[in-house]
Amino acid sequence: MTVRFLLNGEPECVEAGATETLLEWLREQRGLTGTKEGCNEGDCGACSVIVTGADGAARAMNACILFLPQLQGLAVRTVEGVSGQDGALHPVQEAMVAHHGSQCGFCTPGFVTTMAAAHKNGAKDHDDQLAGNLCRCTGYAPIIRAADAASAKPVPEWMAEPLDGFDPGETMHVMPDSADALAEWYLAHPEATLIGGATDVGLWVTKQLRDLPEVAFLSRCTDLQQIDVTGDTLRIGAACTITQVLEAVRDVHPSFAELLRRYGSVQVRNAATIGGNIANGSPIGDSPPALIALGAILHLRKGEARRDMPLEDFFIAYGKQDRGPGEFVEAVSIPRQKDRLKCYKLSKRHDQDISAVCGCFNIAVAGGSVAKARIAFGGMAGTPRRALAVEAALIGKAWTEDNIEAALAAFDEDFQPLSDMRASADYRMKTAKNMLRRAYVESLGVPSNVLEVRP
Amino acid sequence: MTNIKPNSSSHKSDPNRRQVLAGSAAVAAIGAFGLPVGAQTTAAPAASGAFASLGVPHVRRDGAEKARGGAKFAAEYSYPGMVYGALVYSTIARGTITSLETAEAEAAPGVVLVMTHENAPRLERPEPFYSSPTGMAGSSTPVMQDAEVLWNGQPVAVVLASTQEEADHAATLINVAYEEADAVTSFDVAAESAQTSFYAGRDLLIEEGDAEAALADAEVSVDLSFNTPAHNHNQIEPHAVTVLWKDGILRMHDCSQGVDLSAITIAKVFGISSAEVHLSAEYVGGGFGGKTVWQYHILAAAASQLADRPVRMSLTREGVFRICGARAPTRQRVALGSDRKGRLTSLIHTGTTMKIENNSMTEPFFEQSEHMYRADNMHLEIRAGTMDMLANTFMRAPGAATGTFTLEVALDELAERLAIDPIELRVRNEPDVNPTTGREHSQRASVDAYREGARRFGWVPRSGQRQGYREGEWQVGTGMAAAYYPYKRFPGGAARITLDREGGALIETAAADMGMGTTTATAAVASERLGIPYDAIEVRHGDNTLPGALIAAASQQTAAIGASLTAAHEVLLAELASLVPATSPLHGLPAAELGTAEGALYSLADPHQRIPLIDLVAWSESGTVSAEGQGGPISEWTQDWSMHSTGAVFTEVRVNSVTGEIRVPHITAIYDCGKILNSKLAESQFRGGIIMALGMTLMEGASFDERNGRVMNPSFGSYYMPTHLDVPHIDVGWTDIPDPQAPTGARGIGEIGMSGPAAAISNAIYDATGKRARDLPIRLDALM
Repeated sequence: MTVRFLLNGEPECVEAGATETLLEWLREQRGLTGTKEGCNEGDCGACSVIVTGADGAARAMNACILFLPQLQGLAVRTVEGVSGQDGALHPVQEAMVAHHGSQCGFCTPGFVTTMAAAHKNGAKDHDDQLAGNLCRCTGYAPIIRAADAASAKPVPEWMAEPLDGFDPGETMHVMPDSADALAEWYLAHPEATLIGGATDVGLWVTKQLRDLPEVAFLSRCTDLQQIDVTGDTLRIGAACTITQVLEAVRDVHPSFAELLRRYGSVQVRNAATIGGNIANGSPIGDSPPALIALGAILHLRKGEARRDMPLEDFFIAYGKQDRGPGEFVEAVSIPRQKDRLKCYKLSKRHDQDISAVCGCFNIAVAGGSVAKARIAFGGMAGTPRRALAVEAALIGKAWTEDNIEAALAAFDEDFQPLSDMRASADYRMKTAKNMLRRAYVESLGVPSNVLEVRP
Repeated sequence: MTNIKPNSSSHKSDPNRRQVLAGSAAVAAIGAFGLPVGAQTTAAPAASGAFASLGVPHVRRDGAEKARGGAKFAAEYSYPGMVYGALVYSTIARGTITSLETAEAEAAPGVVLVMTHENAPRLERPEPFYSSPTGMAGSSTPVMQDAEVLWNGQPVAVVLASTQEEADHAATLINVAYEEADAVTSFDVAAESAQTSFYAGRDLLIEEGDAEAALADAEVSVDLSFNTPAHNHNQIEPHAVTVLWKDGILRMHDCSQGVDLSAITIAKVFGISSAEVHLSAEYVGGGFGGKTVWQYHILAAAASQLADRPVRMSLTREGVFRICGARAPTRQRVALGSDRKGRLTSLIHTGTTMKIENNSMTEPFFEQSEHMYRADNMHLEIRAGTMDMLANTFMRAPGAATGTFTLEVALDELAERLAIDPIELRVRNEPDVNPTTGREHSQRASVDAYREGARRFGWVPRSGQRQGYREGEWQVGTGMAAAYYPYKRFPGGAARITLDREGGALIETAAADMGMGTTTATAAVASERLGIPYDAIEVRHGDNTLPGALIAAASQQTAAIGASLTAAHEVLLAELASLVPATSPLHGLPAAELGTAEGALYSLADPHQRIPLIDLVAWSESGTVSAEGQGGPISEWTQDWSMHSTGAVFTEVRVNSVTGEIRVPHITAIYDCGKILNSKLAESQFRGGIIMALGMTLMEGASFDERNGRVMNPSFGSYYMPTHLDVPHIDVGWTDIPDPQAPTGARGIGEIGMSGPAAAISNAIYDATGKRARDLPIRLDALM
């Protein structure tokens, strides 16, 4: 089935299977081998390309877990298109050469595209922008220097994407253009797989070699990509990317925003959706604990029928969610509230790593006593889970060190964590308790953020 | 005090991320002024201006091509009719294949061949390292020749199909049944029957005096145990090869660290001459010791022969973990005894590692203990247990990477017991001559490196008391350790110099450039040697049809190329002498009395007597002048001198008391590696090594299921490597003292960065928390 998009500024018409990846097509069909395969699961960034949509924002994405139909109507730019047609180097390419940002050269094209996307957007937080690209040679410093050196240079005119005059036509792939259309189609095809950003489903294909007989892509459901702010709630459509969510919560819940920054690389955040992160029900998904602590309500839809539930009730058991056939996550709402949220993500590696423990605390203290407390954890059970016993042990008590210590025993009622390759059960329990202590100490104004480390 | 070149910012800058940039910018600026441009050149006429090349931070020659995405790697060559390979890996550690059901795969779409041991061509066993001068294979395990399975992950079938997807799919349709045999897949079990092992032609046993008795009698002593896991190179480029049999030649586009040795090894497997193998690797996406000959090369070539089709065999990341070996796990004991003044009376460094029956690589983790410190009595010994696993192999700084970790932590513990500053303890045991061979040092300024590192880091001397302090949740400490890596130069180096009519030169050598900047450094050395401008020198490399049998390994390739160029230059002088016209004052002078500089041949005795090289080339019959030379005997390090690089690494560490998280905000490292040929290339080599060492210290480790020998974390999502935010502010410097015995004055820089940081971090963690971390990686829960 045909997919049409711009490739390095030129219209491209591709016969593509639903789960054919952009990387495979670029390298083997199109002969553009500048885009590299390093891990084929979105961990290394060697396959990064720049994807641009109608909003004009340049988004770095991992081509290895990007299915071709997701690109319908968009503009894709590979490393070959980052230099000018006459071979003229882009400022980031010049800087990578001048600052020795390239050694063996295999990760280089991925760095160049990620850097060029950030450069086009005017982003200067290079460490964050480039955190999804692994390099085994340079020690990274020359690459960061290159990004810094290029940042003041103008964006070359060839980086413009002529999307205005581009008519992508229709595609036969299932790409509903509204939540209504999706609801209708999914009711008739309840066994199908819904694909948001494919950062998880992509691995089913590239790693597990699974066949997905029936899929629908959500990338054109623009009404599911809306964030609505009202007086009472922040309602986030299920197909909103983590990048969108991060922007939406940056000012209202900065600790959540920082959690989302560490949730995944720029490439992953640009693709992954909040609905996918919730619906796949992972016990270590990072957004659910924060959302539960904020008292989020999940909005499910099946055909025309809708139902709402507290997010924590959606997760029934490991791998089991309260979602019927043909039913999908339409949105999640966060009640507007004074920000008291503290999110503590603990992982072996600071960036781009699955949490061993993710603890989120939303504790309101009034008149020296705990008035309200919502505490939720990832990595402590088979699902993201509220710490109800701990909450109960705190509510109504004075917010004091003694009472915190007394409440710690309640953790053992709430959780019986497992030992696995990420952490031992003891370590999980110990650090979960410590996180409550930290929340208390932080409320007294003592810095604890890893990123606040100073000599 | 020797003149240590400043090339980076001071410790005082704030190492948060924004400040890293500022610090790094300062590196570039100061580096450009502080380095001795052309300072090495003493011969008349002086090399200067366009002719000065050594020590100049030339940018990497292939940088633009790589940045454009135009650099072609092994998996990016295509031929008409090419098919794609996929492998089926065994799921048992040891046993016999009893049946292979391949019919369904053979009938699958696009499949052109299923190859198993039943139809594979008959092949010789590959020659592993050290089994012959040219052995380049990870092991001598037969490649799909019989029903025997020797490790979990061994390829048992190859599928060729029209697309990679079809090949991958068909591979899943093959059913293999096994009869399992007992296998040793537990390091514990293997260790029980470990034997004193051997490495690089010698037994791994050194005994001087009675070290155990001296330890028992020592006034102060420590006796410690350490564990380190298996590590994987994780080059960002997964191993790949594109193969074509055509006109009697086996053509291979590979990612080899040593094209000539790879070609010879593969030729022997197929029973053909090495002239019938044309193997090239212009670009290599990272090597670190792992881009050698593994089964996929041979399987691709065999399947290509059988199917009579060109083949692309591109391993998945999981495939790399299953069939390409890496660093073996170790258990080490370091015991040190000293008198009250800290003079070592006993140095014991023993332990166990693993190998397989079919390789001869034993992780040589006591090497630094042979050469770093004097001790009255020594016992160094490495035992290896034999396991039914994937072959272990060389990985960046074999031996020293983990061996300096254990030795240098032990020294820190001894220093604490002695209440002597750790630097002072090392200085008191600095050897005048090599402690085990008795040879003179060719050049050694370890103490200068310690002192300069301490100054730049702002080291606070200590005498048995921790200096660590608390800042909120954070426990803060500092630590130091020495770094070590030997100088080596392997035989087989050769190069050809061809002068052209325009005054330029072509250098050809079969060397590999896997990112270190070989072509850039080679051009600089050649420019200096020939007196031809750097930009007029072209370098061809990475092809076994070029001269020499070099390997980018053991940080020795640049030295090998330097020696080759020196030899080729001597031959070239003779060629040029033969072209001098009778009317010239230079006529009749022997090559030994001639030199080249500033584009001319000149008389050493009377430098004003000179003839432009372009004239000599024009007078030649062919219009070019070409000379080939081979690097001379390698006795400088094997017989004559003690040649070792050293360094000093200082770190600050912060340990979170709530979670056990470890952050390393700052590292200072000063190296004594001889002359630095290109400051930019060198700085990146050091930093890259330090970051890999940081990974080894805090997160890296391949985990194996001890029940069945299967690697459990064969992906970047489960085997962690540092990302940007793990990278501290790193301040790197070097003594830059030329080694008079090394061909270019340089001793090699590729691996020493891997040595030192692990111990410095562990020592700093102790300073911060009072807890000693003696197992790698240092897990968060170890500090809770």
